[in-house]
Amino acid sequence: MISTLEEKPHIPAAPRKRKMPGWAVAMLGVAGAIALLSITSMQTGFPQLTSSGTTQTAVRLALPILLAGLGGLWAERAGVVNIGLEGMMIMGTWGAAWAGYQWGPWAALVAAVVFGSLGGLLHAIATVTFGVNHIVSGVAINLLGAGLTKYLSTLIFLPLSNNPRQSPPVQSFDTFSAAGLGDWLGELEAGQRLFISDVAGILRGLVTGVSPLTMIAILLLPLSYYLLWRTRFGLRLRSVGENPHAADSLGVKVYFHKYVAVIVSGGLAGLGGAALVLNPGQLSYLEGQTGGRGYIGLAAMIFGNWRPGGLLGGAALFGYADGLQLRSGGETVLALVYGVVILLAAIVVWQLIRQRWFSAASAIVVAVLMYLLYISLDEIPGEFVSYAPHMVTLAVLAVASQRLRMPAADGLVYRRG
Amino acid sequence: MSSSTSARTDDPPAVVLTGITKRFPGVVANSDVHLTVRRGEVHALCGENGAGKSTLMKILYGMQPPDEGTIEVNGEQVRFRTPSDAIKAGIGMVHQHFMLADNLTVQENVVLGAEALHGIGKKARARIIELSGRTGLNVDPGVLVEQLGVADRQRVEILKVLYRGAKVIILDEPTAVLVPQEVNELFDTVRGMQEQGYTFLFISHKLDEVRAIADSVTVIRRGTTVGSADPKTVSSRQLAEMMVGSELPSPETRESTVTDTVVLDVKGLKLMTPDGTRPILDDVDMVVRSGEVVGIAGVEGNGQTELVETIMGMRKAGSGTITLQDKDLTKLGTLARREAGIGYIPEDRHRHGLLLTQPLWYNRILGYQTRKPTAKGIWLDTDGAKKDTERIVTEFDVRTPGIDVPAAALSGGNQQKLVVGRELSGDPVLLIASHPTRGVDVGAQALIWDEIKRARAAGLAVLLISADLDELIGLSDTIKVMLRGRLVADADPNTVTPEDLGSAMTGAGSTSAAVQETAVVEEGEN
Repeated sequence: MISTLEEKPHIPAAPRKRKMPGWAVAMLGVAGAIALLSITSMQTGFPQLTSSGTTQTAVRLALPILLAGLGGLWAERAGVVNIGLEGMMIMGTWGAAWAGYQWGPWAALVAAVVFGSLGGLLHAIATVTFGVNHIVSGVAINLLGAGLTKYLSTLIFLPLSNNPRQSPPVQSFDTFSAAGLGDWLGELEAGQRLFISDVAGILRGLVTGVSPLTMIAILLLPLSYYLLWRTRFGLRLRSVGENPHAADSLGVKVYFHKYVAVIVSGGLAGLGGAALVLNPGQLSYLEGQTGGRGYIGLAAMIFGNWRPGGLLGGAALFGYADGLQLRSGGETVLALVYGVVILLAAIVVWQLIRQRWFSAASAIVVAVLMYLLYISLDEIPGEFVSYAPHMVTLAVLAVASQRLRMPAADGLVYRRG
Repeated sequence: MSSSTSARTDDPPAVVLTGITKRFPGVVANSDVHLTVRRGEVHALCGENGAGKSTLMKILYGMQPPDEGTIEVNGEQVRFRTPSDAIKAGIGMVHQHFMLADNLTVQENVVLGAEALHGIGKKARARIIELSGRTGLNVDPGVLVEQLGVADRQRVEILKVLYRGAKVIILDEPTAVLVPQEVNELFDTVRGMQEQGYTFLFISHKLDEVRAIADSVTVIRRGTTVGSADPKTVSSRQLAEMMVGSELPSPETRESTVTDTVVLDVKGLKLMTPDGTRPILDDVDMVVRSGEVVGIAGVEGNGQTELVETIMGMRKAGSGTITLQDKDLTKLGTLARREAGIGYIPEDRHRHGLLLTQPLWYNRILGYQTRKPTAKGIWLDTDGAKKDTERIVTEFDVRTPGIDVPAAALSGGNQQKLVVGRELSGDPVLLIASHPTRGVDVGAQALIWDEIKRARAAGLAVLLISADLDELIGLSDTIKVMLRGRLVADADPNTVTPEDLGSAMTGAGSTSAAVQETAVVEEGEN
């Protein structure tokens, strides 16, 4: 009779709606990406798209982005926006070069971490202790990183290399290759069979010329996941980024965890800088070497929805775009545009099945535009090619930012009491 | 209930506070407070907003040290430096504003800070499942808190306290966020836990609830305890008078000031749910005249909020017309409607009425950004805004250190006085007051009632929505009952009782002559 009284705004306990475990989704994503590239390379006649050389370059270029993104993950999970990753990375490059030309690559790694951590410490002091706006502090650190290294380079590198913008050459790591496996994969790759050759090419790129730094970086990813999601320390760190007042009321040391997170963040960004310096193509510090990779790392993290797995996907995507343009130039990047058309076609079908007419229509429009671009150009002009990773960043963020969930207290200044 | 506690009177009391005094620069928050909580009872602490209840509980929970006085727990004198000390002594606190991280799971929220007890893995999970039965929480510990409703979130808060082994649980205004049915469920939980030996300190200024749940009551006024009462025998009015220390203000209006001039005329107003399946407002017709207060009664969620928001232009009506003094508002936006002469006291001042982080004078401009005295041409007039804010602060007795402090620094009652003062500025012809005294203390309530009465006497038309039936009956000249989006009955405030209104609101029908049904609502839909 009084049915209005019985109605209560009770949200039922929804069972976890996870149809598929995370790793399965990831595997499907990887398989889909390879299939897409493989079809594209067959249709356009550019085997470079999945060649081992491209993959190898992509891995090398993805490393700094991955490490910077991991740094961003640590800081933002504790609620500190770290736009200063770029500056910390620059400090890392300088530190790596300074220690690297004197004492070798391992010293370079340590120095890079120390220099980056110093940047992180500065950011933590400003944002956590003094409550400076996170963006303001981050931008200041970016400017400081660039200025400080310029000064130090003139002071220390100029007498040695006769160039204030470059350090003396740094000794590189010995790299490892899985020789037997690599040869076998090489034969498969040369066979030019659809999919199999592509997979072989990518795998061969992954097992050839692996440096210890690559292994460290790849290991840091699951390690970060384990620390942040499976330990008491990680729970506390994340709670600080979600609701510091709640954490504080339960006896969690909010400032301490933020400090640790931001310093680790700086250290990881610094390591990303070392990955640039120890890149076999360069092997020295160059002014402006980071080229905005700190920001791209941040974008990769956002793309990955503040999760390590997604972050890896983002870093791989940006690294691949970068590697492709560096390795093969405008023609192949244009081939990638063709790949985007195929991807959009798949999206159209998917949206039609879900009866999302508007999304489907807009995807069709973009696909047609992309296709027109593809058939009307012979190659992407060189000026644009070098910006491929940035373009990809922009496009991906525009599409992906709809369903992201950042830590709830990210970027907010916390005051006790 | 009291019989179960009398058996244990030999035990030392669970908590004894003696002579607690706490001074802050410029104010004495607590002076010479005495409080004794027996083991296994539900002890209510009543007082107005700002009477010092919260400070006292912060002292008991170790968030602030007392300047003078002693705390005894189970007969032993203790000194708490941090909340962890209090937790170790078996005292836990459920804050009024939940301290939960939405994006973490129930389990993560519960074990946070207490990982040493059972880790963060399977053992913790088992313990949480074991304890959640006592709180009536029936969800998987792996569910994200953001998926839970308010009542379940509160259970998670209680669970947090239990998990840490608390025996004395402080509930700070626990019912403020709950709807009546959830309040009953909470009380069931409390009684169930009381039987298992838990002691509760229940802080509230809702006296009916205090009388329903408490075994004993202590009243606090202006920072000091003024006495205790037996909730079985004392009336809500007596308790309230203890709280304010004088006779209570009443919402009663004296003589009618209703005129024939129609100010607001709503015809055939319809509004559908966003998915278009069900009407939220179904053919609402209503007239508010100059000098008249029209009260809308209804169980929350029957369309009152939507009615107000549709009249304000915050929601787009499906059909129907809204006319204000011969001016058709139906197609106008919210700002234009305000400029046409509507003042609006929103039901949730934090969401709609104020910018909490901005200074008071800045809040004065909101909604008046195109009008004098806060605007000159296309520019904001900050001097004018500041001067007019000073006026509101004086006239409406807003207790604030100055007009440059952020709105968040004011207590709820003073924030509301500021909103009321602002909305009565600029000579409105219609005031829409949605729960104008919700969550404010008795003093502010009296002032707000007086202001509404005065404006009514000056010819203002008032549309009043309130869940407080005494307020509704006292202030209104006409009462309309809203049920499932329709105005189903008219009631005469001179003769109707809250009980009559209550049964009309639930659709149970009324036998009283004071309530006249104007529409029939089909039963059986759900």
